[in-house]
Amino acid sequence: MNPPTPASTTSASPGAGTAETTGAPAGPPLEIDDIQGGALYERPSPYVGTYLLLQIHDPADGRELIRRLLPLLEPGPASAAPRSGAWLTVAFTYEGLRVLGVPEESLDSFAPEFREGMAARAAELGDVGASSPELWEKPLGTRDVHVALAALAPDAADLESVVARARHAQEEIPGVEVIWRQDCYQLPTGRTSFGFKDGIGQPAVEGVGTPTTNRGEPPIKAGEFILGYPDETGGLAPMPTPEVLGRNGTYIVFRKLHTRVAAFRQYLRDKARTREEEALLGAKMVGRWQSGAPLVLSPDEDDPELGSDAGRNNDFGYTSDLRGFKCPAGAHARRANPRDSLDHEMSVDVRLHRMIRRGTSYGPMLPDGVLEDDGEDRGIIFVFAGAHLKRQFEFVKTQWLNDGIFIGAPAEKDPLVGATDGSGAFTIPQHPIRRRLPDVPPFVVTRGGEYCFAPGLRALRWLAELPED
Amino acid sequence: MGSDTSSRPGVSVGPTSEFSLFFHVKPGHGEALHQALRDLQDAPGYRPGDYEMPIASIHEARFVPFDDDTRLLFATSFDGPWDAYMEDFASKPLKLFDSIFQHVVGYEGLPSLQAVKDFILNAQQTAGGYARNYGGTVKQIRKAITVNDAFQEVLDDPGAADALQHPALRPLLDVAAD
Repeated sequence: MNPPTPASTTSASPGAGTAETTGAPAGPPLEIDDIQGGALYERPSPYVGTYLLLQIHDPADGRELIRRLLPLLEPGPASAAPRSGAWLTVAFTYEGLRVLGVPEESLDSFAPEFREGMAARAAELGDVGASSPELWEKPLGTRDVHVALAALAPDAADLESVVARARHAQEEIPGVEVIWRQDCYQLPTGRTSFGFKDGIGQPAVEGVGTPTTNRGEPPIKAGEFILGYPDETGGLAPMPTPEVLGRNGTYIVFRKLHTRVAAFRQYLRDKARTREEEALLGAKMVGRWQSGAPLVLSPDEDDPELGSDAGRNNDFGYTSDLRGFKCPAGAHARRANPRDSLDHEMSVDVRLHRMIRRGTSYGPMLPDGVLEDDGEDRGIIFVFAGAHLKRQFEFVKTQWLNDGIFIGAPAEKDPLVGATDGSGAFTIPQHPIRRRLPDVPPFVVTRGGEYCFAPGLRALRWLAELPED
Repeated sequence: MGSDTSSRPGVSVGPTSEFSLFFHVKPGHGEALHQALRDLQDAPGYRPGDYEMPIASIHEARFVPFDDDTRLLFATSFDGPWDAYMEDFASKPLKLFDSIFQHVVGYEGLPSLQAVKDFILNAQQTAGGYARNYGGTVKQIRKAITVNDAFQEVLDDPGAADALQHPALRPLLDVAAD
């Protein structure tokens, strides 16, 4: 077993701007050893991985699957060499919990959005047109998806050995079927298919011990991400019952997002007069240069050293750039995490809308310089972990990415991932005259996704021991 | 009272939705409520002639005591779907009106998020009719005023008529005559 991980709960969060009226109690220490590691800790990059979706035909076999998985799950920070060969995370859809035999009363205690499932939330989330569930890759969005298993490994050989053993194990539990597999990876550079380093602005979580990389954002209360602990409102997020099932769990959002990389490159090429301007326009849309260097810290040119410096590339705010001359208010990274830019407006508390993201890439990268689509399916597997599907993932998606009301531009959407019909604009403040890019096409298509619940380890044992009917 | 917010977004026109809360005033608190409202009216952003309320997403705010000070209406127009911001209200805007809300029933320190939701949802009534005379969010309107002020300043310059003859300025010339 892993040695217990010390968990500090003493880190103060001065100015954590939430309801004084609710009188935040000091939280209990985080039970790191009972929380699936993938939610709280990033895996060492680079890595390769695979996502498996499973259908449970026989509940007894489903419970046997959990029993077999349990010894392979490693809570706490990722060890350099996972003992099963891969870092595993297991999560269940609402349908999966139901098939496993979770009692009705307990099922009803889960978040309404989880019970509905992502496909049912499509209109709300902007998954329409080419992104609508009718066009999703099967079996995504169907009632057949019960279990989601993520296996990430330091290298391909490790991963294949794990998958082979899993396949062997599966032969012994025929009542569980692998119905979908998606391989993924993270490049050593951390860059995704659009060419930009991703996954930088992760929130520090109180009590976890991971370093704070943005000095302007004190660690977020653990209850924002793990159920059973005080959150930023001072209360507890609604937790599924019984407590053994809900505590130390987290909701997972899983989305396969196809990226139209050639179209993105072509759009930039069409709008730019020079290669330098092309890079600048791309950076303005993303909010960072390709290296990950934030525009606020490096407004005029990429700074690869800054981009790769984890101690600096997340250490900034927007108060010195409220008008967006360095980083447009509509840029992707600024929309997804407005940081301190809205604090003076008194209408939103950004700390209530933070997300832990565990995204990976899939499909081959489009070679540098290619502007023609090669027909390959490539993109991002977006993975979110948090205690609140609605006020974290859905809020960010609907209010900040798919809408522009909050920045005073209702007709503009996120230029990279916004649900757009191609008629929207993107405004780049600059002297003497702002630039407005017209008709920004959709660069991302939703191929499918699921809302899942990743239980704690005790909860998994409880699930494994559910009685027959 | 349930707290299923999705069914009660209010009526919206463009990006803006109406938001009205009807409270019961605590017995005997009528005069104190009036005093709190007078104090608000003296605060920056609410003084006669001020236009910069601290909350940037509401177009206006009105507090109307009625029924012999036994009831209180709070009515506003909110940019965005207000129900999505329910938790945010507890964090900031509600506190700005703390001295007023403490005179209404149900505002007992709002010890939990559920208390906040109940406080709002128990008081919220969706309008039977709602219309607006102009589009745009508060941010857009503030920007429009700034731009118009600048434009008027340009027009006050004796050289404006000549400058506006440039073809690129035709849309401005079209609205310069009155």
